[in-house]
Order: sequence, then structure tokens, then C-alpha cells
Amino acid sequence: MNKSIFGGYHPLVNFLYFGYAILVPVFFVQPVYLALSFASALAYSVYLNHGKSARFGYGLAILLMAVSAIMNPVFNHRGVTILTYLPDGNPLTLESVLYGVCMALMIGGVILWFMSYNAIMTSDKFIYLFGRIIPAMSLIISMALRFIPHYRAQIRRIASARRGIGFDASSGGFFSRVRCGGEILSVMVTWALENGIETSDSMQARGYGLPGRTAYSNYRFDSRDKTLLCVFAVLMAASLTAIISGAASVQYFPMLIAGTVYPYAQISYACHAAACLLPLALEVREDILWRTLLGKVTTNESV
Amino acid sequence: MNLFEIRNLTFTYPERNLPALNDVSLSVAAGEFVVLCGKSGCGKSTLLRHLKTVLTPFGERSGEVLYDGRTLGSVPQREQASRIGYVLQSADNQIVTDKVWHELAFGLESLGEKTPVIRRRVAEMASFFGIQEWYEKSVTELSGGQKQILALASVLAMQPDVLILDEPTSQLDPIAAEDFIETLKKINDEIGTTIILSEHRLEGALPRADRAVVMADGQIVCAGGVSEVGLKLKELNDPMLTAMPTPMRVYLALEDQDKGGHVPQTVRDGRVYLEGKMSGGADSQRFVRPCGAHPPLRGVAGMTTEEPLIEMKDVWFRYERDGRDIVKDLALSVYPGELVCVCGGNGTGKTTMLGVITGENKYYRGRVRVFGLDPKKSDGRTLSDAGLAVLPQDPQTLFTRPTVFDNLIDVAYACAKRRPDSIRGAAPEAAHPATAKNANHITPEEVEAEVRRVCELTDTADLMGFHPYDVSGGEQQRTGLAMALLTKPKLLLLDEPTKGMDSFFKEKFAAILHRLRADGLGVLMVSHDVEFCARYADRCALFFGGDIVSEGAPREFFSGNSFYTTAANRMARGLFPGAVTADEIIESIMQG
Amino acid sequence: MRRLPKRTAFATVLVILCIPAVIAADVLFFHDRSYYAVSLIIIALAMLPFALVFEGRKPQARELVVIAVMVAIAVVGRAAFFMLPQFKPVVAIVIIAGAALGAESGFVCGALSGFVSNFIFGQGPWTPWQMFAFGMIGFFAGLIFGRLAASIGAPSRDGTMRPAAAGGAAWYDVARLGWNVRARKRVSRLRIFVLCAFGGGITLALYGILLDTAAAVMFTQDGFSVTTLLATYISGIPFNAVHAVSTVVFLAVLARPMIEKLERVKKKYGLYHGNAHE
Repeated sequence: MNKSIFGGYHPLVNFLYFGYAILVPVFFVQPVYLALSFASALAYSVYLNHGKSARFGYGLAILLMAVSAIMNPVFNHRGVTILTYLPDGNPLTLESVLYGVCMALMIGGVILWFMSYNAIMTSDKFIYLFGRIIPAMSLIISMALRFIPHYRAQIRRIASARRGIGFDASSGGFFSRVRCGGEILSVMVTWALENGIETSDSMQARGYGLPGRTAYSNYRFDSRDKTLLCVFAVLMAASLTAIISGAASVQYFPMLIAGTVYPYAQISYACHAAACLLPLALEVREDILWRTLLGKVTTNESV
Repeated sequence: MNLFEIRNLTFTYPERNLPALNDVSLSVAAGEFVVLCGKSGCGKSTLLRHLKTVLTPFGERSGEVLYDGRTLGSVPQREQASRIGYVLQSADNQIVTDKVWHELAFGLESLGEKTPVIRRRVAEMASFFGIQEWYEKSVTELSGGQKQILALASVLAMQPDVLILDEPTSQLDPIAAEDFIETLKKINDEIGTTIILSEHRLEGALPRADRAVVMADGQIVCAGGVSEVGLKLKELNDPMLTAMPTPMRVYLALEDQDKGGHVPQTVRDGRVYLEGKMSGGADSQRFVRPCGAHPPLRGVAGMTTEEPLIEMKDVWFRYERDGRDIVKDLALSVYPGELVCVCGGNGTGKTTMLGVITGENKYYRGRVRVFGLDPKKSDGRTLSDAGLAVLPQDPQTLFTRPTVFDNLIDVAYACAKRRPDSIRGAAPEAAHPATAKNANHITPEEVEAEVRRVCELTDTADLMGFHPYDVSGGEQQRTGLAMALLTKPKLLLLDEPTKGMDSFFKEKFAAILHRLRADGLGVLMVSHDVEFCARYADRCALFFGGDIVSEGAPREFFSGNSFYTTAANRMARGLFPGAVTADEIIESIMQG
Repeated sequence: MRRLPKRTAFATVLVILCIPAVIAADVLFFHDRSYYAVSLIIIALAMLPFALVFEGRKPQARELVVIAVMVAIAVVGRAAFFMLPQFKPVVAIVIIAGAALGAESGFVCGALSGFVSNFIFGQGPWTPWQMFAFGMIGFFAGLIFGRLAASIGAPSRDGTMRPAAAGGAAWYDVARLGWNVRARKRVSRLRIFVLCAFGGGITLALYGILLDTAAAVMFTQDGFSVTTLLATYISGIPFNAVHAVSTVVFLAVLARPMIEKLERVKKKYGLYHGNAHE
């Protein structure tokens, strides 16, 4: 995966962006917002994610969108515009179909946003952000993340050690396999707990538990973070104002009423789209910049 | 000014009769490099843990520890945390967080330092130790040596006056261990940090130390300059003498007092000494009489007519289809009663080779036979039933039960159930129709007798009631060995068995192996420990690039190498070409 | 165990006042339509007091390490069975952690297991719900089975000392210790059975219902109704059944040895009784 430019910004900026991008469609179910969110989420996730995990993410998104688009009209019979009648005698309404589509966009959007979130908000960013608010729990998270790969390797070692004295978990009947597997886990748990005590000794030896612990991080809030944060703040505020004031409100049932106030609504759509697409724009700009720079280098070399 | 002053410290762990520390008095001056040595279980760790309040064990205590002129208990925790640095044995256990940079900052965070201060100190540490390249990495990606350096750096970031290290190199390979000790010396020289180091691998540590302290049974045997301690040990005829570096041992065996004011500690000094010693003597090109620790049990491979236990021919193995070949065109055989040592550097694939033998790694070309079975097609149980046992590097990976006894019984019981005849020594009456019905019924007495036999062999009888994690590392190793032996092996595979063993236990371990080999057990051992291989092996092989590049009896093998060989051989090169152990040099000179 | 009453009080106020306030605000400002959003806020508010109490207590290093170990084991366990959907040991391990370490640590262990495992499997809209469900399971396990852990741990021979009769290398009696292990197991088999039943039940009742409700709310929001809810529950039955069965199986296999191990570590290292320094 190529290194993300937006991921290089301060975690606070990253977190604000994803907080906005994920929560707004969840709280504010408005077709234009949803469509814009979905489109930006799709674009950004395609830019950031490749490979197997991405395929799984898209599969999940499509599945959940389908469920949602079907479930709503099937179970929701409100709405005045009746299209046809379902086999169970209930009406299928245009409003519920539209609502189902909107829900599908919302859910798909959220899944896609999370795909980008997972690519950018790495664990240490989270630990940094919450290290001051919930220090003990962020430390647990950090330790657990260190233990996990360590334990996986240990499980492999234990399995091969047990195999070496004749307890082979990969052969024998089902129950003997399960028993061998259970024993491997049991060895692992003892090992983890007993050796964990030494870890806590090491923490105490380095002063853990003294009052006034601080949280250090590599991240620096510099001027480009400040600029981006300001731009985000303005765009998001404009978009949120429109939501709260009801300038772009919408009602689905009993009939679709878009209480759009011109031109505020249009401005808020633009702001929302801009906020959602800004990181992608930054990435693309950087790519172009490097391509031209590298292009110059190669032409210089060839001359 | 003494940084630490220990006065008449006596300490007993709860529910134990004998004190772990008995009237220990010791002072450590600021800026000193002190090496603490002694048999494992002699109280080194207990003593070191008394030098920091948060690590001090619970128990009955008398006497006092002064730090910087004050009793340690009265020194505030904050000051102790920063000024007394403590590095534990296992780097893996010591590291708390998942990222290298966070680990470096951990102690400073605890002290409540502000971000700019931490940033500077962390940067300093990273530059001093050359951590820049892996600064952003996850801890999981580091090698063992890197992890131990990280553990050290994260303590040093707090700018301690004194560094206390409890056997920090015991889990490292010799090269990483040497680098680590060298780094400690650099810290001591360039920053002036006082260093108190407990070690069992003394070849690297002693030449760099200002002072050595020898402990035994919770008491200090002697303390002082390294030469002085050596002479004192000789005077007392203390068993620790055999743990000293080869040049010291040779010198001390031949001389009664310190002649040149200095007992040689390094190979270079040892050579100078030997050359001086020999220049007056007669012919230097004398033949070395074999005087290995144990007389060889079997001849070199090919001399015997027995069927080999392992037979490998042109074996190739790689982990992935497109990966690199880890084992390449390998040929190796092991015969009954033989101890074969495969030496070689880190990451050359020695452990992978063991995996090929156990069937865990499936070779893709060539031929492997273990007791005539193809490990690729046999599962772990079949191979174990045929007589293959493996002692893993870390015996902790074997312990399923809460006592040593339960662990042993478990293995013995499982094996007895699977192979009732093995426990009865293939008793002929099993075929008898009258007893055939009971042939599969194993009585507790039979299992008990079997466990008792193995316990006597491995000297684990008095560990029975303990939790396997409550006994020392050497005792855990013995328990692991006992578990492996309870499967009644005919072939034992050992993966770095001497890692973390002190020199006494190595000797004991070799004696146990010797006894087993007399009954026809074949042993294949993979090891970095050149000294051990030279002393005890029947055959040594150098593993490099996936293949065995040279092979032979220890003497020809090591005297043919010039770098990858024992300290004794390097020291006596040109003088006694065949000598590979300290005893051989001593013997040759004494007889010459 | 000392708690900061101020924090506890604050936490209680938070739950009692804020949750109704959120619902009221929803009805007033959003015209009772953003079920999903409101439920998210409620979950966050419900988890907050646990976090506050835990953080306010300034847990000592050993406690943190033990919780982190349990979280990591839960996550590794989930990863080990990833190919079997819903067949995962997380609930079982969280219940064991709650029973052995207490309600509060049980909650933290559960919530963080949910969170940390999603660093590997991917965070998503389900994360807060999973955290809450696992956390509550750990909490209830601690409340109900706090005593059980001690009773299971008690008869274990933790072997911190030599046997009383041991005069040096005194021999162990195989018949007394080796084979009587099975007899000892029978004694508390009933308790393990109760624990398993609890595990299966709470997996269905709490985890299953909560996550299915979350799914229904998320899919339909405005169209949220009893029928959609029922439809979701029905479609979720096979998954929840597998999950419950796996929890029972894992508890049956793991509960005794793991609780024994945790009790040993607690006893040997004075965990939850020790003193924080300075």
C-alpha cells in the first residue's frame, strides 16, 4: 500500500475527519448527503485499500446494502404512493423503497468509511489520542497489541514442542485433537500469566504508578495540521449548521418532502462534499506532485 | 563514595528453611563495572532485587542496603525509578508497549516528563544505540539482540546513575551477547554509569569488569579485582574456577601466584602468556593427548556397522513455494549412542533442519528416514512411538500441569497407555494368553516406577511438589528433559539446550547425556555453544547456507577452523594445534 | 478495594440523568427518528462510568498486565477460530476473567477484547455494540461468579511450597495425587455446569439480542418496528446458537484450568491486595 498523505497528518485531524464522515450520515438521513457521503467513501476507500481485505470489505458492504434495501420496503408499509401489493397483502410503497435505498447508502457508506478509517487510524494514533483521557485502558490496549503476535508465535512453539514428545494436535481422532489443542492453550495461558508478572515488574521498575504520568507521542501539531483543521472546521460547521437549522431537512413518511431551503442547502451540500473529499484531494495532489518531480528527475538524467 | 553499600543482609523467602542470602556485605563504588557470578540459584538475582525497593521480594530480612548514604527504603520512589536502572533477564517479558518509540518513552512518561524533554531524551537514546532504523517499528519485528538493546535503552533513557542487569544475555546467541556486553562497556566508559551485572557467560564479561564478586549458597565467596578473585578461587579450590574464561583457567592451573601482575583474561593475553611459557620449553609442536571429558562412546560415522537412527540424503526444504531454500542438499546421519552437534550462526536454518526431522517441515526433495520412517508421512505420535523425542529450546512450552510431578505423570501415563510394552521393557509374558487381558491395563505402580527411574536419572526428585514456574531455569530444563525421556526415546533432538545454563549444570547435563548414550540413545544437538560441543560431542558439524559444510570429530573439526572455534583453540593455535579445551592445554603443558 | 466515591457518584448521575435526557432530546429535536444515533449515544454513556471508575482507581501495574493478557488471549482465540463463523472463545474467556478478577475488571476486559480484536478484524459500526455486550457479560460474570472463582481456586495444589511431608527427596504418592485428580474434579463439576449454563444463556440473551437489535436498528432506522426486530432475531438464531454452543464448549474445557491459573497468579503475586507505591 502506498503511504497515505492524509495519514501523515496529526491524529486529531484524522479523527475529526472520520468522526464527521461516519457520524453525519448516521445521524442525518438525507438523500443528497447520503449520496455524497457514499460516493466520497467509495472513492477514498478505493484509493486506500487494495487486496484481499478490501475485497472482503466491499463484499460486506454490498451484502448489507442489499439486506437493507430489501428489508425496508418488505417490512415498512408506510407511505402514500403504493406501487404494488406484496404476496402477504401488504402494500409496497415508493417512500419505503426510497427509504430503503437511502438506508443502503448509509450502511454502505459507513462500512466504506470504516475501511478507510482502518487504513489510516492505526492503533498508535488511537492510543495517542486517548492516552491522556483513559491512560490505564490505552496502556492495556497497547500491551494487548504487543502480546497478540507474541502469543501466536508462542502457540506455534508450544504445538511443536508438545508434538516433539508425542502429543500431536494435528493427528489422531477428533477428541484427541481437541484435547491436544486445549492443552496447547492451557500451556499458553500459564506461560502468558507467569511471564506477564515480569512485565509488570519491568513497569514498576520504570516508575509506573507514580503520580503525574504523562503521555508522550511522536506526533507534532504543526502548521499544515492547523491549516487543515481550520478548513475542516469551517466546512463542517457550515454543513452542520444547515442540518441543525433544518435547511436541508427531509421527511420520508407518509410522503417524501424535501424541505430544502435554497441556496443554503446547496451551499451545505457543497461544504459536505468538500469536507468528505478533501483528504482524497490531498492524496491525489501529492501523487501528481511526485509524478512531475520524478518526471523531471528522469528527464534531467536522460539529458 | 560508595553508591551502594550492603551491610550484613540476610534474607529468607517465605516457607523456606534456608536463607537465600546469608550475611552478605558488599559495596559498589560509583563508576564501577562489577560482575556478579556464581552457580544458578546461588542468590544472585535475589541480591540484585534488593537493590531496588519495588522489586524487593517478600520474606524475612535483616541487615540493610544503603544507596548514596541513605537507607534504600528512605529514597523516594521517583528518585529510585529514575536513578536505579534495572534490566531483567528476558527482554521479551520486559518490553511493555507495542512500538519501539513508545517503549523508549515509557519510563519518562511515568516520571511525568514533558513531551519536549522526552523527545530529546528518546532521540539521544536512539542515536546512541543506533536505533533510528527501527525506531518506528513494532516490537514484534525485532530480533532477540535488538529487543535486549531496546530494553536497555528504555532504562537508560531515564538517565540512571547505576544499571543493574540480571543475566541479560542468557537468551541471546553468542554474537548478540558479545555485542550487548560491549555496549555495556561503552556505557560504562563513555557515560560513567555504574554497572552491576550478573552473568554466567564469563568469557565476555570478566575481561571488561573492574571487579568480580563470586557467590555461592547465598554468601559471597570472594570479591575484588578479576585477577585477585581468580587467584583467591584457586586458593580456595572453589568449583567456580571451572566457569572462568579459558585463559584464566590455563594460567591458574599452571601458576600459583600472579606473576606479571595480571592474570590473562582475553585470548590475546592468554596467547602472550602461553608463548612466554613455551619459549623456554622444548619443542612446541607436540601432539596433544586426547583428554576429553568423556571418552568417545562410538567411532566417527561410517566406522560403525549399525543402522543409523536418522538418515538424511540430499534434502531440500523451503517454507514457501517461491521462498528461499532454507535446507539445501543436506546429508546427515546419526548412529545409536552418538552425540552429534550441529553448530552454526543464527538464522542459518539449524532449527528448521530439526523441524525436517520431526516432520513438522515437509521437505520437497531428497530422502529422510527416522527409524526407517519417512517423517513427511508420519505424524508426531507415530514418530514418538518409534522413539523420537525433542527437547525444545524453552522447556516452559511443555508444562501443562500445576506441579512438576503432574507433568511427569501425564507424559508417563500417556506413553504407557499407548505402548504398554515399553514400560515393561517389552516383557515376553505380554504375549502369554493369561496375561494378555491385562496387558493393556497399567497400574499406578508401574507408572510410578518409571517416573522414579527417570527422576533419579535427571535429578528432579526433589522438585516434584513445585509448580514448574516456581523452580529455577536449570531445574525447568531438567524437568523438560525428564518429560522427554519418559517417552522412552532412542533418539533425542536438542535445540540449543545449553542456552541459559551455567557451567556447572552444563557438566551435569553432559553427564546425564553420557549415561543415556551408554544405553544406545543417539543425540542430535543444535547449538551455538562451541565450548560445550568441543568438550562433549562425538562428532561436530558446521551448518551454513542450508548445508553441512564440514564435519568431523571435535578435535579435527575445531582445529581445522580458525574463527569458529573454541577460545582454547584460538589461544593455543600454533603451539598446540590439536588442543580445543582448556584441560587439554593444561594437560599438554604439565606433561611436556 | 477502595473506590473514589466522587467518581462513582458522578458516574451514577451520568447514567440516571443523561440517558433519559438523550432520549428526550431525540424526541424533541429529532422527532424520535434517529434510533441508531440515539442508541450509540446511550451505549457510550453506559460505558463511560465503568471507564471512569476503572481509571479513577489508578489500577496497579500487575492488574493491568493480567487484564491485557486476558484480552490478548481472547483475541488470539478469536483469530484461531476465524474460519468458523461465530465459533469463538471470546465470551468464555471474558466470563472467566470476570469470575476470577471481579466485575469491574471483567467489564474492562470484555470491552477491550471487543475493541482490540477489531484492530485485527477491522473496526466497523458494530464495534461499540460488541464492546458493550462483551463488557456487560464480563461484568455480570464478575457479579454472579466472583465467589465461584475462589472456591475453584482454593483446592488447587498451587505448589508454592514443598509438600509438608517432604523430607528432602520424599516420594510422592501416585495413588493419592495422580489418580485422585479425577475425584477432585467431580466435586465442583456442578459449579462448572452452572457457569457453562450461564455462559450459553448470556451469549444468547445479551450478546445475541443486543447485536441483532443493533443490526435491526441500523438497517431500518425510521422504519424500525417489532416485525423487523423479530425478523432479525429469527434470522440470527443459527448464528447465535452456534455462538452459545461454542461458549458452553469453551467454558467446559477452559473454565477450571484457567480460573486455577488466575487464582495462582493472584495469590502468588498478591494481586488485588497489593499496595500501589508512593
